[in-house]
Amino acid sequence: MRILLAEDDFASRKFMDKQLSRYGECDVMVDGEEAVDAFLMALEDDEPYDLVCLDVMMPVMDGYQVLKAIRDIESQRGIPKSKGVKVIMTTALNDERNVKMAFELGCEAYAGKPIDVEKFEKVLNKLGLI
Amino acid sequence: MAEEFNTESMLDMFLYESGQLLEKLEGIILEKQDADCFDDSDINEIFRVMHTIKGSSGVLMYENITKVTHKLEDVFYYLRESHPDDVPHMELVEKVLAVSDFVTGELDKLKNGDTPDGDEHQLVEDLDEFLGRLKGEIKKQGIQMPQANKHEEPKQFYITPVAGDDSHFYRISIHYRSDTQMSNIRAYSATYALKEVAEDLLYTPDDILSNEASGDVILAEGFHMLLQTKSSKEEVIALIDSSEAEEINFDELTKGEYGKALAEFGREDAVTIDLGEEDKAEEKDKKKDKPQPGDYVVKTKEAGKGKTLAKNQPKQQSIISVNVEKMDALMDLIGELVIAEAVVLQNPDLKVPGLELSNFQKASGQLSKITTELQEVIMSMRMMPLTNVFQKMKRIVFDVSRKLDKDIELEVIGENTEVDKNIIEHITDPLMHLVRNSVDHGIEENAEDRTTLGKPAKGKITLEAKNEGGKVYISVKDDGKGLNKEKLYQKAIDKGLIENKLISEFTDKEIFRFITLPGFSTKEEVTEYSGRGVGMDVVVKNIQSIGGRLDIESVEFEGSEMTLIIPLTLAIINGIVVQVGNSPFVIETASIKEFVRVGEDSLIHEPSGEEYIVLRGECYPFIRLNERYDLADSISNVEEGIVVVLEHEGSQVCVLIDKLLQEQEIVVKPIPPYVKKVKGLSGCTQLGDGSIALILDIAGLLIQDGERR
Repeated sequence: MRILLAEDDFASRKFMDKQLSRYGECDVMVDGEEAVDAFLMALEDDEPYDLVCLDVMMPVMDGYQVLKAIRDIESQRGIPKSKGVKVIMTTALNDERNVKMAFELGCEAYAGKPIDVEKFEKVLNKLGLI
Repeated sequence: MAEEFNTESMLDMFLYESGQLLEKLEGIILEKQDADCFDDSDINEIFRVMHTIKGSSGVLMYENITKVTHKLEDVFYYLRESHPDDVPHMELVEKVLAVSDFVTGELDKLKNGDTPDGDEHQLVEDLDEFLGRLKGEIKKQGIQMPQANKHEEPKQFYITPVAGDDSHFYRISIHYRSDTQMSNIRAYSATYALKEVAEDLLYTPDDILSNEASGDVILAEGFHMLLQTKSSKEEVIALIDSSEAEEINFDELTKGEYGKALAEFGREDAVTIDLGEEDKAEEKDKKKDKPQPGDYVVKTKEAGKGKTLAKNQPKQQSIISVNVEKMDALMDLIGELVIAEAVVLQNPDLKVPGLELSNFQKASGQLSKITTELQEVIMSMRMMPLTNVFQKMKRIVFDVSRKLDKDIELEVIGENTEVDKNIIEHITDPLMHLVRNSVDHGIEENAEDRTTLGKPAKGKITLEAKNEGGKVYISVKDDGKGLNKEKLYQKAIDKGLIENKLISEFTDKEIFRFITLPGFSTKEEVTEYSGRGVGMDVVVKNIQSIGGRLDIESVEFEGSEMTLIIPLTLAIINGIVVQVGNSPFVIETASIKEFVRVGEDSLIHEPSGEEYIVLRGECYPFIRLNERYDLADSISNVEEGIVVVLEHEGSQVCVLIDKLLQEQEIVVKPIPPYVKKVKGLSGCTQLGDGSIALILDIAGLLIQDGERR
C-alpha cells in the first residue's frame, strides 16, 4: 500500500512514519502544499496513494485545505467517491466542530493526538486497507 | 477554566448527548413500567434513542455500545412495524433498563478516562433470544414480517486520542547561580530533556536559542516552564540537569491551575513544542466562529521561535457561563416586575378625579422605558444564533446525499437568525428529520428524471431562517418531485389513518398534512436515513410543544417546502385587553386583523343557531363571547358592541366584545390546574388593577367552532 504522510512536527513525523511503514511504503511531507503536490504527482504517474494521513496545523496549507484540495482534484478528474483515496486526519484539534468540518470535507477518519495505535489499526482494517 | 478547554471535544459531545438521551429513555421507561405496554410514541422514542446512540458510538468505535444498542433498536423496530400483541411488557422493561445501565456504565468509564471494556455478549444473547421469541410471536399472530432492519456500518470514524486524564501538570522554575555561563543553553537543554516525556511544554523566555540576551533575563528572573506529562515528579526532576542551578521550584498544578497558568504565559511569548497549547488557545478563541479550512496554517518557523498561526487571533471576548436555571429565574422575576409595574401605574387609587399627576406620569414613563429595556436585554441574553443547528444540517445533507449518491447543493440563508435557547433545543431534531426527508424523498433518485423535467441535474435544498412579526420561520425547501396528492390520499385510506371521505372533500393542505400522521410513510422502500415513519409525527409533536406549527407547501414535480413557524419567545406577549360583561380578556395583538362595528343586517342566522357575519362580501363565523362563557351584564346587541376579526393559520373568526380597555405587555401564566380546562383559553395574566384576565386562544376557538358544525 502507498501512503502519504504530511506532518510538520519532527517528533510526530518520526512516530507516524515508523507506525505507517509497517503497512506499506510511506512518503513523508513537511507542509500542506508539498502534500498536495505529491498527491498530484502520484496521480499523474498513475500510482495513486491508498492512504493519506494529514496533520492539521502545518505551514503553507493546513490539513483541512489539503483535504479539500484532494477531494476537489478527485472530483475534477472524475474519480468516483468510492474510489477516492482514504484520508485520515491526525491532529490534536479535537473539538467537535473541527471534527464535523473534517467529516464534511470528506475525510474517512479523524484521529485525535496522541494517537491510539490500536484503534488506528482497527480503522485501517475497517477501511479495507489492511 | 480547564474544563472549558475540553467541553466541546468530540468525546465530550458524545458523552453529553448520549447521557441526555439515556435520561430521557429512563424517564419513559419508569413512567410506563406499570402500564400494560408501550404506546406507539414511546416505541418510536426508544427506537430513536437507540438509533442515535448506535450511530454515534459507531463513529467513535465503541463497539460494545454499538452492538447492544443495535440489538435493542432491532427489537423496537419489530415492535413498531408489526405491533404484535401480548408482548411481555415487564420483561421488555427489564431489557431496556439493562441496556440503559450497560451503556451508562460504559459512558461512566469513558468519563473517568478508562476504556469502555464491558462485556456485551451476555446482554446481546439475551436480547437475541428475546427478539427470536418476539419474531415467533409475530409470525404466530399472522402479522406480516417487516423487512429486516438494515444496519449500515459507519463510513467515517473518529479515533479518540489516548486519554490524557492521568496527566500531571507542573510549573517548574529554575534559578541559576548568577555566575552561570550560557544559562540560555542550559535552559534549552532542560527543555530538550523534558521533550521526551512532555505532552505539552511551554517556557519563558521563549527565544533562548536565538537570542543570547535571553541568558541575562534567565539569570535575573529565572527560567519558567509549564509541563504536562504522564511522568511522575521524581522522573521529571531526574531529567533536569540541576548543576549550576541555585534553586528549582517544582509545583504540581491541577488542570484548572494549569489552564490559568497557560493564560498567564500568554500567547505572544509562548513557545510550544507540542501542538497541544496552540490548540487550546485556538479553541478558546474560536468558540464563537465556526472553523474554516485555512484557519490552521502555521507560519514558517522563525529560528528558535515556536509555531504561531498565520491567521491573526481575534481578540478574546470575555464570556462567563451562567446556569440556565438562573436565567429562567431572572426571566420569571422580570415577568413579575412587568406585572407589578402595571399594578402601580394603573392603580385604582390614581383614578380619583382631580388628582395632579404630571410628575407621576413623567416618572412612570421612565420606569416603563427601563422595564422594557430590561426585558429586551434578558431576551437577548437567551438568544442564540441558529448557526450551530444549521451546521448540523449541512453535515446531514452532505452525508445522506453522498450515501444515496445524489448530487445536491445546499443553500443556507439567514443562519445568524437568533432565537431563544429553549427553542433551539426543541427544533434541532425536527429540523434534522425535515432535512433528511428532503434529501431522501424530496430530490429525485436519478438526475435524468430531473433533466427531462427541465430542471438542473443538481438537486437543490434551501434552508432558510427569518424573523418576522415575533415569529421565527425556518423552512426547508427542495426542488424535487413534490408530493402527489392522490398517492397520499390513497395511502392514508389504505392505512386506515383517516375517515372515508372523498379526496375532493379535503383541501390541499389537509392532504399534505397526512404525512404528519403517525405510521405514515409513502416510500415503498425504507432507507437508512428516513422513511421508517418515525419522523413527521414526532416533528409535529415537538414543534407543538413549543407553541409552533408546521406548514407544508408542495407542487408535484416542482418541489416541496416545509416551514416551521415558532414564536420567538414564550413568556411575554403583546396583547389587547378587552371587556365582556365584567370580565377582562386578553387577545394577542398579532392575531387581531381589525375591529369593526357592524349593523344587525350583516348577520346571518342559521337555523341550527350558528351565526355568520358578512364583511365586504366575505363571510366569517361569528362567536358571542358572552354566550360562549355565560357572562352576565354584557352587550348582546351587535350594533352596540365591537366585533373583533381574528386570524389564525389562515382561517378567520369574529368575536363580539363590549369594549376595548388597553394595549399592554402580557406575562403569560398557565391556567392553574385546579381550574377545569376550558377550550378557547390558553392562559391567564394579572392586570394592573390586580384582576385576572383570561387569554383567548384563537386556535382553540376555531377548533371548537369547527366541532360544533
